[in-house]
This record gives sequence, C-alpha cells and structure tokens, in this order.
Amino acid sequence: MTKKSNKLQYGFLIDASRCIDCRACMVACSVENNVSMKSTRIWINGTGVVGDFPNLSRYTAPFHCMHCEDPSCVSACTVGALSQDENGIVVYDDDRCIGCRYCMYACPFEVPNMDLTEQFPLIVKCDMCVARLDEGESEPACAATCPTDAIIFGEQEDMLAEAHRRMEEHPGRYVDRIYGEHENGGTSTYYISPVPFEELGFPLAQEEESPAHFNRLVTHGTPTLAAGVAIGMTGIYLTIKRQKEDDKNIDNPVHDEGNMEE
Amino acid sequence: MTNVFSRRDFLKLGSITASALALGQFIPPSVAKAATELGLLDSNGNGYIPSMCEMCVWRCGLLAKVRNGRVVKLEGNPDHPHSNGKLCPRGQSGLMNTYDPDRVLTPLIRVGKRGEGKFRKATWDEALDLVAENMLKIREQYGPEAMVFSSTHNLSQPQFENLLYAYGSPNYGTQRSLCFNAMVTAFLLTYGIEEPARNYDTVEYVILVGRNLMEAVSTSETSALSKAIDRGAKVVYLDPRFTKTAAKATEWIPIRPGTDLAFLLAMINVITSEELADCEFVREHITGCDQIIDVMKDYTPEWAEQITGVPAKRIARIAREYAAAKHNAMVHPGWRTSNFINSFQTERAIATLNGLSGNVLKPGGCLVAENPEASGITLGKPSQPPYPRISALRLDGVPWKYPLVPFKLGVFQELRDAIISGEPYQAHGWFISRQNPIQALPDRTKTLEAFAKMNFITVIDISLNDSAWFADVVLPEASYLERYDPLYVADGKIFIRQPVIEPQGDAKSALWIYKQLGERLGLSDFFQYEDEEDYLRQQLAPLGISLEELKEKGFVEPEIEKPETDEIVFNTPSGKIEVYSETLAKNGFSPWPTWEEPAAPNDDEFYLLTGKVGQHTQFATQNNQLLHKYQDEPRLWMHPDAAKVRGLEDNDLVEVTSEVGKVNIMLQVTQAIRTDCVYMTPGFGHLSKGWTTGYGVGANDSVLHVTYTDPISGGQALSQTFVKVRKGSSHD
Repeated sequence: MTKKSNKLQYGFLIDASRCIDCRACMVACSVENNVSMKSTRIWINGTGVVGDFPNLSRYTAPFHCMHCEDPSCVSACTVGALSQDENGIVVYDDDRCIGCRYCMYACPFEVPNMDLTEQFPLIVKCDMCVARLDEGESEPACAATCPTDAIIFGEQEDMLAEAHRRMEEHPGRYVDRIYGEHENGGTSTYYISPVPFEELGFPLAQEEESPAHFNRLVTHGTPTLAAGVAIGMTGIYLTIKRQKEDDKNIDNPVHDEGNMEE
Repeated sequence: MTNVFSRRDFLKLGSITASALALGQFIPPSVAKAATELGLLDSNGNGYIPSMCEMCVWRCGLLAKVRNGRVVKLEGNPDHPHSNGKLCPRGQSGLMNTYDPDRVLTPLIRVGKRGEGKFRKATWDEALDLVAENMLKIREQYGPEAMVFSSTHNLSQPQFENLLYAYGSPNYGTQRSLCFNAMVTAFLLTYGIEEPARNYDTVEYVILVGRNLMEAVSTSETSALSKAIDRGAKVVYLDPRFTKTAAKATEWIPIRPGTDLAFLLAMINVITSEELADCEFVREHITGCDQIIDVMKDYTPEWAEQITGVPAKRIARIAREYAAAKHNAMVHPGWRTSNFINSFQTERAIATLNGLSGNVLKPGGCLVAENPEASGITLGKPSQPPYPRISALRLDGVPWKYPLVPFKLGVFQELRDAIISGEPYQAHGWFISRQNPIQALPDRTKTLEAFAKMNFITVIDISLNDSAWFADVVLPEASYLERYDPLYVADGKIFIRQPVIEPQGDAKSALWIYKQLGERLGLSDFFQYEDEEDYLRQQLAPLGISLEELKEKGFVEPEIEKPETDEIVFNTPSGKIEVYSETLAKNGFSPWPTWEEPAAPNDDEFYLLTGKVGQHTQFATQNNQLLHKYQDEPRLWMHPDAAKVRGLEDNDLVEVTSEVGKVNIMLQVTQAIRTDCVYMTPGFGHLSKGWTTGYGVGANDSVLHVTYTDPISGGQALSQTFVKVRKGSSHD
C-alpha cells in the first residue's frame, strides 16, 4: 500500500526519555501555525505520576500527527482536503474541508481535532510545518525549539536508524518497540520510550494494516451512494409535494426542502 | 471568566495596526528602515532580526521573524550561548507578551481610589511632569531617602540605578533577597565570587539541592543537564516534591524540608573522616583543612538520618560516590536551596563540598570560579559627575542590622517593613520599574499596607500588573521586542537587544523614560546620551565596534587578550577557598558550615512549598495567552493520606490558612509530595483586573508567606511558612 515517491521522505524521532514536559513544542507550534487559542496540533502524552510515594516515575512525550505512509484520514476525506504530499507529509487544505469529521473517526491515533466553539469548525492537525519547510527552514517549529532534543526531525530513514542506534547503545533504557514503525501500516514518526506505549497513553493501534483500503471503499463509494440517496429522496419529496399541493390545507410546503435535498 | 483572545483576532488586530500605521506615516518606520538597510529585511519588510529574549532572566539570543512590521515567530539564536538555537515555552510565547491586548500603550494617571483601577490617559509630558513634581516635593520635604526605588534584574538596571543614586536615595528594593541572597553571600564569603558557572561537559555526578532545572528552565543549562543524563551522568535530587526534575534524576530523595543542610554536612563528614578528598591537594587551596575532620565529626550520617529522614547508609553511599567522581562531581549552587533561615549555611555546605571535589581547580572541572559575563570586555559608558553623598541609614538594615549582606543585594522585605513602621524614618514615595512588589514580597497584606503609606507611587511596566493597579502613575514601557536595552556580555561576546518592530502606541524604552525623568529632576548630567542608539554607541566606543555591525549579527566577538595564568587565587582575604571564614568569625557567626535547626510545623499543619513551573516566570507571565493556553490549572498538591485524614478529595475547594493570610484553592491529590507538605504554584491569584487573562486564576502564595529573614545573608526564608488546610466553603 505504501506510496513512497522518489522525493525525500521526512520523519520525526521522539524520545520519551528526553522529554521534560516543558511544552515549548506546543507553544512554538501554536505560533508558527496560527493555531486558535482553543485548539492544538500537538499534545503531551504521559504516564502521569505512577507508583506509591516515594517510588514514583513519570514519563511524557509530545504527540502529533504520525504522518502515516498510507494515511487513513486521507482515504476517509471525501472532499480531498487531506492529502499526502511528495515528501510523505499529510497535508491539509482548509479551503476544501467541510468539517464532516470523517478523518477524526478514521485516524487510529485520534489526531485530527477541531475547535467546536468556532461557528464553522474545521480540522486542525499537524502538517509538519510544511509552509515553514517550504520557506527554507530545516525543521518544523516543535523540533527546532525542543530544549532537550526530545523531538528531532530529518530524513525518515535516518530517524529510524537513529532510533535503532539509541536502543543498541543503551540496552535496557528503552522498551523493545519503535512505535510508529509498523503501526497503521507504518508511519513517518518514530517513538522510543523507557515504558510501554500503552502506559504513555498512546493509542494502541494493534492492527498493523492501515484501514485506509477499507476506508477508500467507503469514501469512494460515498459520492455514488449519496447521489443515489439524493435522487431517491428528491423523488419521494416531489411525490409528497405534489400530493400535498393537491391537498389544499398545506401552509408552508418548502419548510424542510433544504434538509430533504441534502 | 477568562477573556480568550483568539489567534484570528490577533491577526485582525495586526492588520488594523498596520493600516493605521500606513495612514499616519509617510516615512517608513525607523526599525524597518534600519533593518532593511542592514539587509535583515527585504523590500517587503520580511526577514529575521537578531535580539535577546526577556521572558526570564536567562537572556537567550533570539531571531525574530518579521513580516511587514509585525513579529510572527521567535527562534532561538544558534550563535548565542544561552539559547544554542532553542527557546523554552516562555521564550516561544514572547510575541504574545508584546501583542497582549492588555498592554498599556499610553501613560495613565489614577482618577479613582488606589486599587480601583480607574485611570485616565495622559501625554508623556503630563505624566512625567507629575512624577518629577512629586519626586522633587518629597526630596524637598523629607530628603531623598524618603523615596524608595524598586527594580528587578534587567539590562536597563544600570540606568535605573543611575537615576536612584543621582537622586540620592539609599533605599533600593530588588528581587535579590527574595531569591539568591543566601547563595551569593555564601559564595562571596567562600570563593570570592557571586555565582560560579556550571560546566556539564564532563560531569558524572550532580547533586541538585532543590534545583528544579527541568521546570525552572534555563535553556542552555537545562539542555546541558539533559545531555549529561542521556550520556549516563548520575543525578541525585533533593526535593520534598516529585517534580519533573525528580522524574529525570537517578535518585530522588524526598528530604524533610529545611534539612538539606544536615544531609550535606553528613556528606562532608564522610568525605573528610574517610579521607576521600585529596587533603594534600585541598590543603593548598582550602582554609581550615587541618581542623575540618574534627569540626565535622558530630555530623555523622546517623545523626543526619534522625533529622532528614534519609537512611544513614544512603547518605554515606552518596558521599562516597560523589567523592569518587572527583572533579567531575558537583553540588549545584542553586538559587534558593531549601528556603529556610538556614539556607546560608546550606549554601556554605554546598560551597565546601565543591571545594572538596576540587571541581573549581581542575581544568574542565564542573564549577567555574570566574565571572563568565565579564570575559575581559570593558564597555564604555556616558560620562557623568560623581553621585551625591548619601548619609541616611538604609531602611533595609544593611549594614547596621545585617552587617554581612552585600550592599547591592539588600533586604527588600525589611525595607517593606520599615515603610510600615516608619522606623528609622518614614518613606513617602515609591518608584517602581519592572518590579511587582505586591506579588514578589511575602505577606501581601503587609505590602498593600506599605503601598497605603505612600504619598506617591509610580510604576513603569508594559501592562497593569498588581503593583501598577495600585499606582498613581503608570508609565508604559516598550516591550523587549520593541526597544533597545544596554548591551550584554556573555562568553566573550557582546549581545544586543534591539527593537524588531516599532513600539506600539506611545510605549517608550526604559533608557528614554529614565533620561526624560532625570532631566525633569535636574539630573541631566547623569544622562548624557541623545537616545538609545547613542547610549549603545558610547558603550561600544572603547572597543572600536560599530552599532551597525552588532545590529546586523546580533553579537560581536571582540579580540581580547586574556592574561594566561596557572596561578589559582580566590578573591577572598586568604586567597583560598574559605571553608573556615575569619570574616564570619569576626562578625560573631560560626566560621564553619554549621547545623541550624529549622522551624517545623505542628502536627495539624503543613510545610507550604512553592516552586517553578516550566510555563511561567514567577508572577510576570500569567497574562500571556499562549502560556495560559498550555499551563496546568494551579491547584494545591496534597498527598492522598493527608487528604484522607481531612476528608478531602481531588478537586475539592479548600481553604489554606497561614499565620498571616488565607486563600481558597482547588485541591490536587497526588503521590508526588510528602504527607507533611502542600505545594502551590507561585504567581497566581492576581488582584489586577487589568490582566484579563490572568485575573481570577488560581490563588496567591504571597498572601500566605510569612516574612522570615536570615540574619547573615538577609534572604527571605520562603518555605518557612506553615499552613492549615480544610474544606473551603466558597470561592474568593
């Protein structure tokens, strides 16, 4: 299913052993991408304080779009607002978004979100600061500012290699899993962690196949289905309308017209 | 209810400002024009301008991304040793400090009662005339000592002090005694330096005495510690709280508050009695080497176990591990250590342990006993006459009550108390610049009482913080992205803070405000600079560096011939590290690091702890919407066992009472704290309704803090406040 182009594939490596939960990444992301004060493109996932005093531990890691190799959200988007660019970045066009939230349901990592206080809420998600990269910056805002280099950015292959290198160099420091390597059919964001990812609050994503294929069956089928339903409903509506017009007691027959036609 | 300013509004506001500028101005704004001439901005006004952060006192270098007269993003400057290309969350949020909708953009004159928040807008001439008139009246009627001046660590402070000394007042309140007096006094007496630099390049063993570096983020140092941990360095962290630093430490020791000193003395006992330090080597550089074993003999790990609650074996093991790491070990000097009256002795023990490890003496050692800011660079300054002689006693008791407190540190809390008592004389005016005594000082009720004693209060700030809210005149300062400040020297380089955008409204730089005021006070001779750029040019004159060169790169590295010397001489009376201090003995204090029993709470009370969070700087940033967005709700931490006994549950509203005050706050039940402690994030519970984001959030710690002053260093013992907690009935 992988649709890798010949172009440079970008990726992240995020190391939970280094994250100090300072949230510089979150603020940097909000400023860089003009994110509204009520929504976010990045979270801090964490274990919380675990254990009983004084035997305590706490781990955190920033969490944002994984930029799947075969993104479920893209396959679920009926209007083409979400797409994958040639660098493997899952990008988003808010001029096309209709706020249907299919991508929110499709994403196994629960990444796309929206500010529900907005009048016309649109999807908010990480796009690897694609505009910033296009301007010539070498890293997205989160990775550029991280004071402890818990987030690093580069070529996808290099990120994976670095994850392996750290795990080999420090045996026992990390659990034996690179989150993002196989999840949802493989992603461009790799996590290494001293504690199991379930404990960090990461979505499990046990299915290794991306559901994108099945999504496509639905999303590609949807317009046909929708058109069929619309035609059918219009037919019913017209029939009823004619009947009601025949019946001279109707005051305002067009009241529900809009809804009917949708 | 918090008034949230959405980013979309932010952009809208931007276009309004931009079009207003376009209408009113026929020449391009000078900042953009200068930056374009230097090649920093293109013809469309887009580009990056180097400057320096001011969201805390660490002074990271930054690159401000400017688009058509607006700053849209801040990046860490890779060439600056404090940022190394990174910025912390506060640094990243800096443009929201500048574009805060609550900015004060014209001078304000109070029209209602103090604290009502009723002001009218005024011109600079009217406001400055009014301030000068009152300051002259006070000097004439009561003498210059009746004016109190307050400011906090900032780059324009030399000119603030210039105004204060030229006016002739000895009364100067800074943050120092509320922060690092114990550390600075102890290191001055022991090493002859104020604050040793830390070097993490080869560190193997770090002891942090409450130094919460992962939350009190100092970008380069936090980064260096993190790298050391990643490399495998051991970190032993003493704190009654499981902080984010505790989470990264090799060992977290939830020590009983105020007893860190006993832990450290026992370490000295083990290292000296087992002769783990190289005494021949230490003998050359440390005073009292012959007697130290004997002097420390009673401070056994077993003795310390009784006091600290830390097992003797553990203390002894850590002492041995520390000694084994030799000069690759350090005990971090910290800022405020345990915040008890014995903090000075704690810092003396820290200084001693560093001396014993030899880390300041060896090349590559972890503690650097020289002032890294000086680096042999001497900046010029405008010429000026000598200051008038001051004969009045200082209200803060230095030196007549506190003989060993360095003059520049002072004892701010004592100064506040003298304003209230009127002893030895009454102060009548308060001139405050970039300070917020109402939040900064312990016991807010008392500080408000001191404010009420004043005939006239002036506050210079960028928005209405609590102190400005109670002022008679508020003078709007340009934000750190809108102004010049005097130059800053670090690591052999000279750095500049320069405007990256035009000041909004009528906001002006501190350099301009002090000069204007100086002229109105008849002190023009002390302010011999035309404008900010002229001041900076005079600073650069002796070095033959142009301001343009500095503006373009953000820094210059002048060629300085550093005298090479192998000789190690400390700036103390003996020229050695004074573990034994004759100066202390002469002043009637113990010449050795000595145990002092701290006060302890009753059974029904808790120690009240406060401490930093990564998203805020003291009480200065709670109105920043970006930090507000990503902060944790400030609640009172309590251990579940302590909560259970009191029938309290998570998210209960509780009433916290100390000897001097009471607040209501939501409870956070957590394992991350000792059962005998509660913790609250400082700097919330603001009084000023001029802060629409920060007002009404959390509770204020200053209300609860009791004023206790260490007699040697003058430091405020911030954790020596004990509180009772019970279920609250209603919101404040």
